[in-house]
Amino acid sequence: MSELVTTIRAGEVSVGDRVRTADALELTVTRVDEDFMGQPNLLALVEDSDVQWLKIAAPRDFELELISRASKLEI
Amino acid sequence: MDARWDLRAIDGEPVDSAALEGRALLVVNVASRCGLTPQYEGLERLQRSYGGAQFTVLGVPCNQFGGQEPGGAEEIQAFCVATYATSFPLTEKLDVNGRRQHPLYAWLTSAPDGDGRAGEVEWNFEKFLVSPDRQVVKRFRPAVEPQDARVIGAIEALLGE
Repeated sequence: MSELVTTIRAGEVSVGDRVRTADALELTVTRVDEDFMGQPNLLALVEDSDVQWLKIAAPRDFELELISRASKLEI
Repeated sequence: MDARWDLRAIDGEPVDSAALEGRALLVVNVASRCGLTPQYEGLERLQRSYGGAQFTVLGVPCNQFGGQEPGGAEEIQAFCVATYATSFPLTEKLDVNGRRQHPLYAWLTSAPDGDGRAGEVEWNFEKFLVSPDRQVVKRFRPAVEPQDARVIGAIEALLGE
């Protein structure tokens, strides 16, 4: 039985989303830096938490595995 | 002991702080699987040109950027020597950003770059030039190559060459 994998483009990732890269790096995004290293098509996703400080850089249309979406407050 | 210089070498042995005393340092966070990894070649050229009693490159392996330094100490050391014939010292793997940031980097990252921006290390191969009296003289972002005239000029100015 195949496992259903949900993907998300790097440019659509929001703070609070948990994603996994093809290299099996996982992070819960706490910050998105636009125009990474001065390149408009590149962004950086950062987890700055008690668990880890990790930064990945990706083109905006690069696909990542979405492990969980940020929980949203219901009003 | 000053916590900034409480460092272990890549082989796990304490870095002899006396061996760094009186020398200018170019402190660089390095990674083996980064697009910027060929900068090792330029770093080694700096070491061969200026290294000695007055100057050394100090490499700091770090896995916080894209997970691009995943290996253990022996693997990192072997890669550097085999691929780039490096002769400058490496520390053990450290965190350069975040809550487990090493005190050396808490100090280094308080220094601004050429645009006046201090704070987090941006990516692998960011360079900090430290004077023998332990002032951060210059900070170069990762895209600035080790052989860039700005880096060489700053080293030569510091060494009085």
